[in-house]
Amino acid sequence: MSSRPYDNRAWLGVLPVVLIVAFSAVIPLMTVVNYSVQDILDFNSRFFVGFEWYRETLNDPRFVDAFLRQIGFSATVLALEIPLGIFVAKGLPKNSRMTPFLLVFLAVPLLIPWNVVGTIWQIFARADIGLLGVAINAMGIDYNYTSEPMHAWLTLVAMDIWHWTSLVALLSFAGLTSIPEPYYQAAELDGANRWQVLRFVELPRLKGVLTIAVLLRLMDSFMIYTEPFVLTGGGPGNTTTFLSQYLATMAVGQFDLGPAAAFSVIYFLFILLFCWLFYTSVVARDE
Amino acid sequence: MARVELDKLTFAYPGADEAVLEDINLTIENGEAHALLGASGAGKTTLLNLLSGLLVPTSGSISFDGRDVSRQPGRERKVAQVFQFPVLYESLSVEDNLAFPLRKSGMTPDQIEVRVGEIADELEISGIRNRRSTQLSLFEKQLVAVGKALVRPDVSLVLLDEPLTAVEPRVKWQLRQTLKKVQADLDVTMVYVTHDQTEALTFADRVTVLTVDGVLQTGTPEEIYATPQHEFVGHFVGSPGMNFLPNHVVDEAHGDKIGFRPEWVQLSGTGVVEGQVVRTRALSSQEGQPYGITTVATDHGEINVRGTLSAEEGATTGLKVDQYVVFADGWRVA
Repeated sequence: MSSRPYDNRAWLGVLPVVLIVAFSAVIPLMTVVNYSVQDILDFNSRFFVGFEWYRETLNDPRFVDAFLRQIGFSATVLALEIPLGIFVAKGLPKNSRMTPFLLVFLAVPLLIPWNVVGTIWQIFARADIGLLGVAINAMGIDYNYTSEPMHAWLTLVAMDIWHWTSLVALLSFAGLTSIPEPYYQAAELDGANRWQVLRFVELPRLKGVLTIAVLLRLMDSFMIYTEPFVLTGGGPGNTTTFLSQYLATMAVGQFDLGPAAAFSVIYFLFILLFCWLFYTSVVARDE
Repeated sequence: MARVELDKLTFAYPGADEAVLEDINLTIENGEAHALLGASGAGKTTLLNLLSGLLVPTSGSISFDGRDVSRQPGRERKVAQVFQFPVLYESLSVEDNLAFPLRKSGMTPDQIEVRVGEIADELEISGIRNRRSTQLSLFEKQLVAVGKALVRPDVSLVLLDEPLTAVEPRVKWQLRQTLKKVQADLDVTMVYVTHDQTEALTFADRVTVLTVDGVLQTGTPEEIYATPQHEFVGHFVGSPGMNFLPNHVVDEAHGDKIGFRPEWVQLSGTGVVEGQVVRTRALSSQEGQPYGITTVATDHGEINVRGTLSAEEGATTGLKVDQYVVFADGWRVA
């Protein structure tokens, strides 16, 4: 026999990855897909209903509301956290004895468990006993996040910025420190002002890390659950009920497994779509 | 364009005990291509940063056309710089990169357009004017970087910091020729920093050899090669460098050492010293004879001889020195 270019035993090498991905992603996801096309009454009686739950979910006004709210929230926090993160990163000294300490301080919010963040802000912003809430009221502003939807929103956005701006700042700082000094020297000799240095030297070189930062923040903020759940519980009314919270109510509150499964699949596909849209638009612009 | 004078220029980093540069005196004429040649750690980059205004001298002064600019930032001195690797605005096209330094100079868009066209033609990069800088080869990028440095008509001094480092060996020569050509055409004052003696000698009108001890010699490439002021210059410049022998072997009364270039010595039956051929290295052939470097081991160290390769390895031969320079305590005396 001549030498064989293919050896089917090589497939064995791929097996561990296939198994891990199957257990971590494919099987759970398929379980959900399976539920989403059935009406489950009890363990023994289940009926195939096709896309009925999908239709129902997409026509559910509460889903649409939660979805729009979600987009509003993600857009707001991204629009604030990315520029703020870059601004903070630019303010950090690059080579000082203080740098490691500042980086650790910055990382502190990232190290706090999500429900603790929610609890901290829940107490911090309370109008009766919280430092922030009392302080705002003392300034003559009638602030109460448990009754005013706008206040609840602002508090949530403030909390998210407090929690996650550090991530953008740390990523941007890593990007900034990797810009070789001659780029700044050349810009200085060319007479570039600070805005031009940011626009033509720093931002083009931060593109890679900012792409990662936007993707991470987009996915994370779109899936936000714990913090609003602890802080506002979705209220007042439904004004801060985001997709994940509505989903949890449906699945483990009302035990509507079929519609909840369809909801999950739609939810997942939207996150995938947004990330894909963002990524391709960034990568496509490069070519 | 400017005449650059360094007067007793001294620089020490804050907190450092020893100065990196001490008492440097140097004049670079208007429109001159000047090379700063030195090994790593000789202070070349520090001197460059002082010229570009990134560092401020500890004492002494730098003046352009008699005007003291020691404490002026680089943009006020109208200095431009080309770095070891191509430094461009990566999101901009070649054209916009070239126009960038002009936008602040008060030129009208039409004048900018004309000037960018001139520079692009001079560097023969008109064909890639509309490309994004990320789509260029390293060689093209470095050409654009050179163009960006030369584009301001009022540029007083262009600094080149080992500009051929990042470029492939194949096109190094080409880029050097282009640099030489634009320097001559535009008549700008250029300071070219390098540790490569071939680059320095082929590019510059005058070369300054810098070591940790300061400036050893400033002169034309011919002067540097034929009459090195210091043993180090003789040894550092030339490939291979200068040969040295104690002065008594040629009955030289002055100094303590003689130095001679590999082409100032020949193999002969009898000579001032004898030795054994240890290596031969062919470089080319002349009239059918292999030509190159013969290395002879003598009692006073190895001597390189440039010429026809006539001796076998291991053979005993004499060396006849036709011409030499004399050094005393390192410095040339005759």
